[in-house]
Parts: sequence; C-alpha cells; structure tokens
Amino acid sequence: MYIALLITKYLKRKLAPMFAALAVTLCTAMVIIVISVMGGFLNMMRQAAQTLTGQVTIFSGPTGFAGHQEIAKRLLAEPDIEATVPLLRSYGLINIKIHETTRTVEVVGIEPASFNTVTSYESSLYWTNQHFLDIWKKQYPASGEMSPTLKQRFDDIKKQYENLNLDEAGMTFKIPSIWEDEQIKEGCVLGIAVDQWNTRDTEGKYNVSNSAIGTPVIITVLPLTLGGSFQSLSPAKAQFTLVNEFKSGLYDIDANRIYVPMAQLQKMLDMDRKEVWENFDPATGEPVGKPTIRSDRVSELMVKGKEGVPLAQVKATVERVLQGYLNEHTDTASLWIQTWEERHSTLLGAVEREKGMLTILFAIISLVAVVMIAVIFYMIVQQKTKDIGTLRAIGASRKGIAGIFLGYGLAVGVIGSMLGLALAASIVLNLNEIQDLLYQWFGFKMWNPQIYYFDRIPSELDRMEVTIIVFCAILSSVIGAIVPAIRAAIQDPVESLRYE
Amino acid sequence: MTATAQKTLLVSTDLHKTYRTGGEILEILQGVDLKVKQGEWLAILGASGSGKSTLLHLLGGLDRPSKGNVQYNNQDIYKLSRKAINQYRNRDVGFVFQFYHLLPELTALENVTIAGMISGSTLSATDRKKRAEMLLDQLGMSHRLKHRPNKLSGGERQRVAIARALLNEPDLLLADEPTGNLDADTGQQILDLFIELHKQGQTIVMVTHDQKVADLADRQVLLERGVLKK
Ligand SMILES: Nc1ncnc2c1ncn2[C@@H]1O[C@H](COP(=O)(O)OP(=O)(O)OP(=O)(O)O)[C@@H](O)[C@H]1O
Ligand SMILES: [Mg+2]
Repeated sequence: MYIALLITKYLKRKLAPMFAALAVTLCTAMVIIVISVMGGFLNMMRQAAQTLTGQVTIFSGPTGFAGHQEIAKRLLAEPDIEATVPLLRSYGLINIKIHETTRTVEVVGIEPASFNTVTSYESSLYWTNQHFLDIWKKQYPASGEMSPTLKQRFDDIKKQYENLNLDEAGMTFKIPSIWEDEQIKEGCVLGIAVDQWNTRDTEGKYNVSNSAIGTPVIITVLPLTLGGSFQSLSPAKAQFTLVNEFKSGLYDIDANRIYVPMAQLQKMLDMDRKEVWENFDPATGEPVGKPTIRSDRVSELMVKGKEGVPLAQVKATVERVLQGYLNEHTDTASLWIQTWEERHSTLLGAVEREKGMLTILFAIISLVAVVMIAVIFYMIVQQKTKDIGTLRAIGASRKGIAGIFLGYGLAVGVIGSMLGLALAASIVLNLNEIQDLLYQWFGFKMWNPQIYYFDRIPSELDRMEVTIIVFCAILSSVIGAIVPAIRAAIQDPVESLRYE
Repeated sequence: MTATAQKTLLVSTDLHKTYRTGGEILEILQGVDLKVKQGEWLAILGASGSGKSTLLHLLGGLDRPSKGNVQYNNQDIYKLSRKAINQYRNRDVGFVFQFYHLLPELTALENVTIAGMISGSTLSATDRKKRAEMLLDQLGMSHRLKHRPNKLSGGERQRVAIARALLNEPDLLLADEPTGNLDADTGQQILDLFIELHKQGQTIVMVTHDQKVADLADRQVLLERGVLKK
C-alpha cells in the first residue's frame, strides 16, 4: 500500500522516470511502426498472390491434361470445395502495334467469369470509364466558346465513353463498339506493366492516355505436341484488341502476364476438343472411317475452398480426389498440386525472412531498452538511498523496498508503452497523410511509388503483434528494474541513515 | 518519576559491534550491557565517534550485532524472523533521527501516515489519518499538513518525524540527537515535547553528547571506549 503511494509520488516528482518512460515510448513506437509497415507489405503481397492463384492449383506441364471437367465435377461434390476453374498457361510473344513493341509474355487462357469466382480477377482490372471521362473533361473547352457542332461532337464522345463499360469488356473479352474492328473478334487483357509505355506519375497512378487500350495487339504462341516437342505446325498468331489492363500488385506478374479467351488459346495451341481421324485414303488424302473425339486440354485447374476451411484441409481434399481420379484414369499426364503459398514461396519467403531478421533486431533493441531502464533506475535508487534507509527504519521489509522499484519499473513500462502505442498508432494509421505533408513541406518523399510497386505505403496494426510488443516493452522495463530493485533491497539501512 | 517499580522493557547483554575496513578492525562496541525499564527516560552520552548511533541502531533492530544480544520483552530480537523484526521496528519502536529523515516527495501528513501503511501496522486507513492529524495537531503542526518537508523549518521537520515515530504507539522511542541540528530555542521546544511524552509514560532512549540534554533524563550512561560507564 505504501508501495503504491510511493510509486505514484515518485512518478510525479521526478524527471528521471520521464526519461525512462520516453525511452520505452520510442522503442515501442519504433518496433510497432516497422512491424506494421513490414506486415502490411507482406499482407499486400499475400493478397496479390491470392488474387492471382486461387487457393490450390492442380497443374501439369505445358502440354496440358485432359479430363479437367471430370476432376472439377468430383471436386465440387466435396463439401470443402467452393469453386474450380480451368486455365491454360503458355508462353509467347506480344506485339503492341501502336507502341511498336514486341516482348515475350506468359499467355494465360481464361474464362473470365468463372476465373473470377476463384481469384479476384475483376477487382484487379485497372481502367474504368471514369479514366476516359477524366480526359474528356480536361479537353472539354469552357462553355460559351464552343460552336454547337463542336459541342455536339464532345457530347457524342462523352456518351461513347459512358457506354464503354471496360469492366464488362474485361469480364467477357468482348470488344466495346467504339473499338470494333472487322478482322478482330475478341479482346485480351494485359498486365499493366507489360506495355512499357504505361508509366506511373509521382502519385503512383497510370495515365490512360499513354495506354494502348482499344488498339490491336498480335499474340504469337507455339503449339506443342503431347510429347512436348514443337509440332510441325508453325507458330500460331492471332490479333486481339486490348480491352483492359490488370494490376495485381505483384510486379513480376503485372509485367509478364496477359489474359486471352481460353477457347481461342486452346485453338491456337491445338489443344481444343476436336474430331481426329486415324486413317486416310492414300489416293485422295481424305479421312476414312469414323473419327475419334480428342478432348480438350488445359494446363491448370484452380480450386477454391469454402469460406473458413483451412488451406491445408483444402489441399488434402484436392489430393484425395485427384488420387481417386488418377487411379481410374492411368493415362492422364503427370499432375502436381500446389497451394498459393507454395506457388509464391520465393517472393513471400524473402519478405517473411526479412520480418524474421527484424524480430531478432528488435530483441536487441529490447535489450538496449532494458539496459537503459536499468541505468536510469540504478541512478534513481542511488538518489533514494536515504529514503530506503528511512523506510527500513520504520518497518519496511526488503521485499517491500524491491516491490517499490519493480512496481516503479512496471509503471514506467506501462506508461511508456501505452504512449508508444498511441504514437505508433497515430503514425501508422496516418502514414500516407504524413508522407503527403512531408512532401508538401520539404519536397521529400519516403515511399516513391515509381520505385515501389504499391502506390500507398502499406501498413496495418495487427492486434496480436501489438499486444506482444507492448507486453515485451513492459516486461523489459520490469527486467531493467530488477537489478536496481535488488540493490535497493539489500542495501544496509544503517549506512544510509548515518549521515545527512 | 518512580520508574524503579516498573518492569524491564529492553536489555542488551555483552553487545559487540566490529567493523572491518581495509584490513583494519574497528571494535566500536565491546560488550555493552544495558537495561531500560518501562516508562524510563535513559540518556546515552558519549563523544563523537564513540558508537552511540551504532548502539541505538542495534537496540532498534536496524543492524546486527557481532556478538551479544538485545532482548525486548524477554525476546531476543535478533533471533526473530525477518518479518517479525520488521514488525518490531514498525510497531514496538519509533525512531527519531538527528537529520529527521523525512521522505521529500510526501507531505507532512503522508510522512506520518506512511508508518501506518507498512504491513505490520494494525491501524485502519481512517484511524491512521485521524491519529496522524491528532499527533501533528498536538505537536503544533496542524497548519502544515499539506506541506512537503522542503517547505518546513528544521524544528517543524523534527515534529513531523516525532509524529511519525509515535503513530503506531510504540513502547520504545529511540531518539538519536533529536536536537543536534537545531538552534537552542527550537531545540528546547523539541525537548519540551520529549518531557511531555515522558510524563505520559513514554519510554525513551535518547542519544546525545550534550550534558544539559542528558540532565533531563531519569538516568544517564556514558559510552566510552566501547563500554558503558555509569
Ligand atoms: N560501516 C562502517 N565501517 C567502518 N566504520 C564504521 C562504520 N559505521 C560506523 N563506523 C565507525 O564507527 C564509529 C562509531 O560511529 P557512530 O556513528 O556510532 O558514532 P556516534 O557516537 O554516533 O558519533 P556522532 O556523535 O558523531 O554521531 C565511528 O568511528 C565510525 O567511523
Ligand atoms: Mg551518531
């Protein structure tokens, strides 16, 4: 009881504990801020990875595998599985005609609507009608200075832009009417960084007027035989209209992937469902007899588990179902199963390791905090020698004396870490606003969106991590107070009472 | 004062205290035999450095003797448990020091009540405050309850220290030169308080090197070369 009284009195009257609390505040705030930004970064990457991959993927080599419809049917009969979607992955060249650039890309054939049930494809589409309307607004001359014909023209353009519906174009690969072209039947969607003309401004935003959107691109792919060698077929080439671009947040993917209609790509790669004849008339070269049906092939089947089902369980279910299927269909190509985490493990692993390194660093920082508290408390104990002697003379026990200083350390830890938490929260939750202010005042930009891939500084306060950090800070303060507390407790009361 | 009929409160037998500093052995107390009766005022005289404070600390359970023992109510206090000896200091003994030794962060009132907050004290929170206020009032300090020690004069500080020593109604008041740091007038006021306390039956052991102060006591002993002389 006297312990509590003395702790509150000591806290109010002394500058030294303020410094100790300040040290705890700064350490706590620093650790929370760095962990939050790091964790936010990691989470953004994980989200991006999930956006693209679905939870679990069954995949084969580039020659693909047949029977995905049957596997999907069996999977969907399982209570754990929410949806499945096939896709076809290949590599090829893209030629963006308007920008006269050619480059190699990963060509992915999808059915956008079903692809969107497993991934967040739709929300990754970048361009909206608003982008075009914004340009239109900028070019629109001040009213009054315009002839009626010109005004009519502008109004027409506006109407066209309003009817563009780029989201739908991305979801169907249908070409909006203003970009219609007699020769081109279908659209395609590029990763936003595939076209190097797409550059970001200082705010990290792309400008639609640099984009090749609405223009034709030529895609070339190489069909493979089932054995994996190039067929005698020549490379397949087709024209698509670029109807939208996507931004997943993972630079490697946004710079290298394009989406085209699945059926179209299957045809180009000679992996579509068709009738094949085995016998030909030697004289005419015409096929003879009945054709057999060759079923279509895809290279991946993405699987999404039901809400709340753990990833490992989804994977186990997929493994079980696939094994059952393979036992009955021994002629199926080799298949593998990967979760999205396994798929992006190199990238995610790097960031996770970095977070691990930071944790070690913070362990050292806590040690510094402990030493700092210990030094400050040692000085406080020395100042208080006389009081300690007095307290012993009026009956305080050694335990009580130690309790005063441990409790003092606890109080400093609690106050310091709470202030640190408040400081960190106000910084982390307003990180981008703070950055904008710094930019306005000093022209200094910490997070350059032209360099980093995300346009906002990612950050997020994880309740669990924050709790652990605050707890560690308090614990460090108490640990730091232990040695001084022991010193205070074992001190000879007579020694301190003898002199003024 | 007829203290002779009273029972013996405190006895020290063959009390030794030896210090070792850098190979040198300092024998400060070399067999002190002392008896204090209930209600008695004993003055311990002695030159500076003769070991008066050392002896008082030993009597109050603050130190440990090198040899010999101290018996309080026939109980060897240095054979008590830690807890019990803390209680002895808290409840049975009240210390008054030359340099007051008040806690600078606490007000006058808190400096008194704290003696009742330490475990071992049996006073309730309200009783403690009431008694502290009453004591300070008796000592003429009622107008200074909320002041911190650095705002008080030496005499006022010593009054607060006496109130603190008396809070738990100790049987034995140990005073180490309580007037040593005060001017003559203020010192006399403090001594008047001791006289008053003594009249009320308080047992007092007071250390001093001032013969005039010692003359107020029932009995005087002189500490010289480690032993007591009558
Ligand atoms: N821890 C210690 N180590 C060595 N010597 C000590 C120690 N404590 C006290 N002394 C010595 O013991 C002697 C007695 O000290 P004490 O304080 O009891 O004297 P005193 O009679 O109270 O003197 P004063 O009248 O000046 O207060 C002194 O010479 C002092 O130097
Ligand atoms: Mg002395």
